[in-house]
Parts: sequence; structure tokens; C-alpha cells
Amino acid sequence: MAIDVTPRAREWLRRKGGVVTLRLSPRHGCCGGGADVTVAEARAPDEPERYTRLEFEDVTLHIDPSLVDQELRVDVDGFLGLRHLFVEGTSPTRARK
Amino acid sequence: MTAHQDATSPDHAEGMGLFERFLSLWVALAMVAGVLLGQFAPAVPETLSRFEYAQVSIPVAILIWAMIFPMMAQIDFSAVLGVRRQPKGLIITTTVNWLIKPFTMFAIAWFFLMVVFQPLIPEPLASQYLAGAILLGAAPCTAMVFVWSYLTRGDAAYTLVQVALNDLIMLFAFAPIVVFLLGVSNIPIPWDTVALSVVLYIVIPLTAGYLTRRTLIARRGSEWYDNVFMKKVGPITPIGLIITLVLLFAFQGEVILEAPLHIVLIAIPLILQTFLIFFIAYGWAKAWKVPHNVAAPGAMIGASNFFELAVAAAIALFGLQSGAALATVVGVLVEVPLMLALVRIANNTRDHFPAAGPEARG
Repeated sequence: MAIDVTPRAREWLRRKGGVVTLRLSPRHGCCGGGADVTVAEARAPDEPERYTRLEFEDVTLHIDPSLVDQELRVDVDGFLGLRHLFVEGTSPTRARK
Repeated sequence: MTAHQDATSPDHAEGMGLFERFLSLWVALAMVAGVLLGQFAPAVPETLSRFEYAQVSIPVAILIWAMIFPMMAQIDFSAVLGVRRQPKGLIITTTVNWLIKPFTMFAIAWFFLMVVFQPLIPEPLASQYLAGAILLGAAPCTAMVFVWSYLTRGDAAYTLVQVALNDLIMLFAFAPIVVFLLGVSNIPIPWDTVALSVVLYIVIPLTAGYLTRRTLIARRGSEWYDNVFMKKVGPITPIGLIITLVLLFAFQGEVILEAPLHIVLIAIPLILQTFLIFFIAYGWAKAWKVPHNVAAPGAMIGASNFFELAVAAAIALFGLQSGAALATVVGVLVEVPLMLALVRIANNTRDHFPAAGPEARG
């Protein structure tokens, strides 16, 4: 697996329930078409059976199967007490038809 | 771990739908359809233009909201929390978008439309075209950049942050920049008219988009929002765009039939400006050793425009029949081939930039 979850993201996720979903979120272009952007969310997916489940130390990852082999890094960032999960790496990974 | 930087990039049209790939053709067809409509059934656009409230054309307002709302509804403003992550990329693109681009657009458009093409374009019409160019220069792209970012293997996390940041800045910066540059151009526009267009075509769709996103995600979840709601709402934008263009060209028939060369003359400064801005942002990124997966989308965001907003503001400020509205549409006409050329340049120069990695981040 090429996916990495940074220590600070794991720490933050543990406080949020220890579950993260990595999925592709479509972004529409203004003139048609679009691209899928990889996003990370601190929750279980709506349909877990459609995801690949992986245990990463004490965090459970639900990953879109098309992302499993991607080199991705899940981290958390923010300011003023607000935090936001983000994914770095090759994303979007596919064009949206 | 380092982010994977693939040497191969997607096919230049892979991220693009049929509509988008041939956008220039559809705009040209909308032009023909609109001119025919204006010539043979003038009652249709004239009747539609009569439905006004507080000097705002209701059919046009609905079409513009249809264009803009879906784009606003997909903006994740929480991404702004990552604003410290790629400081170099964000500084470059934000500076280029807001402190350089509006002014170079004004300078280039003024030089060509008011000086070089003076014998070819009557002065009042040249001023209108200049106003359209100013509106284009003050509105940075918010949606298509995801496609350009994809085509250059860009960092989507950075693109999300930059788009969210630009939309927030646009709320406060668009009107002052437009009023200032129109004032410099001796095209006076009452502040209240500009403020009304900002409220109608930025504040209302942005607020509605934000509330819709927040409410529906809270009730139905983000996957339902992305895969069901946005899947239905997203395609409304290009439909709204084309209907707006048909209506707009129905009022522009005389200009297009009498002086089709004007389309080419307007396109020249817009094309030069796009290349100039791309190379300023891209060159700056190279000088600062910004990794390619940030430099390329950053330069693309700098170079491209939020055409729907520019068209909306031009119609609101100057009317459907105005030269300003026509100039903004020329921006739509040249967008896709122009941006694909920049995608090609970015992909062919990838090796001149450092690869993304922990040492390159920030």
C-alpha cells in the first residue's frame, strides 16, 4: 500500500473516531466535463462494501479501490482551532466522463 | 513518502467532455442561432428582455444563476484551512490574479482596442470592448481549473485551496477593481449598479451554493451530494451558458453581421494577455523552485477566467446588446484551444521544475 497517514492526522482521527474515508469527489467544469479530486473525510462511507478496508495502525481506512495503489499522503491542517483533512499526491486520478 | 510525480500526463482531451472539447464550435453555433433568432424572430428576445424588476432582466438573471450556482455549490470552503500548505504557490497565484492580471488586461486591451485598432473600431464601441476585457481580467476561474490541473498532473489539494481562496477574495475585490479600471478608462459606472451585480451574481449564488452544500451534506452525506445531487445540478451550467449566449447574440446580430472582424480584433488582446499571465506565474514559480504539480495549476488558475461572471456582470452593467457583453463572450470562444495550448506547454516543460516531495512542499 502506498498510502501514508501522518502521525498528526492519526492523532486527530483517533479523536474523531479513528475512521477515515478516501474517495473521489467529482468537480464539474464550467463548460462541461470535469475531474475527480481525491478527498479524505473523517467518517465511514455510506456503502462500506464498495470500498477497500485497510487498518493503518489504530486508524481504519476505507479507500476507493481505484486509489489503493496511488501514492497518497493523508494529513491534517488548519488554524484558529479549525482542522481540515487533506490528501496530497496524484489526484485527481482520473478524468470524469 | 513523496507524492508520486508521473512523467506521463493524461491525453490532452481526457478530462474533457464532448461539450467542453468543442466549446468554441458550440459558441460559434450559438452565435449563428442567436443572430438568426434576432433577424427572423426578433419578438422572442425582445419579449424576454421586457420581464424586468428593478432594471434587472428576470430571464437573464435566471440563466446567469443557472450558470453560476452549480459552480458555487461545489466549492469546499473548508479547504481554505490549508492556506499555509503551499505558501509559494498561493502567493504567486493570488498576487498574479489580483494585483497583476486585472491591470495587465486593462493595459493590453487598452493598447490594442483604443490605439492599435483605432482605425478599425469606432471609439465608443472600443470603450465597450475594453470594459468587457476589464470584467474578464477581474474574474479568476473557479471551475475549469480542475480540468486544467488534472491535465497537467497538478496537485488537486492545492487547486482546491486556491479556488476557495479566490472565491472569497472575489467577494470583496471584484467590484473595487472593476470600478477603478472602468473609471480610469472613462467608462463611469455607478457604484450601486456594480454593487447590485456583485450581490446578484456573486453573493447570492455563492451564499446559496454554500448553504445548499452544507445543508444537503448534513442531511444526506457528502457522497450523496457529490454523486447524486451535483451529478444532476452540474450539467446545468453549460446549458445555461449556451442559452445565455443565444439570447445575447440575438441582440448582437447587427454588430456581428456588419463587423465580424471585431470578434478577431477583440480576441487578439485576450489571447496575448492569457499567455503573458501564464508565463509570469509559471516563470515566477520556476524562479522560486515551486514543484511542477503546483506551478502548472497555479499558472493555469492565473491565466484563465470566470467567464460566466464576466458575461453576467457585462450584461448587468451594460446590457445584452452591449459591446462589453460581446467582448466577454469572445473570451469563452477562445478559452479551450488557448488553455489546451498552455497545458501542452506546461507538460512539455515539466522537467524544468523540481518534483513534488517533502522538501519541495511549502
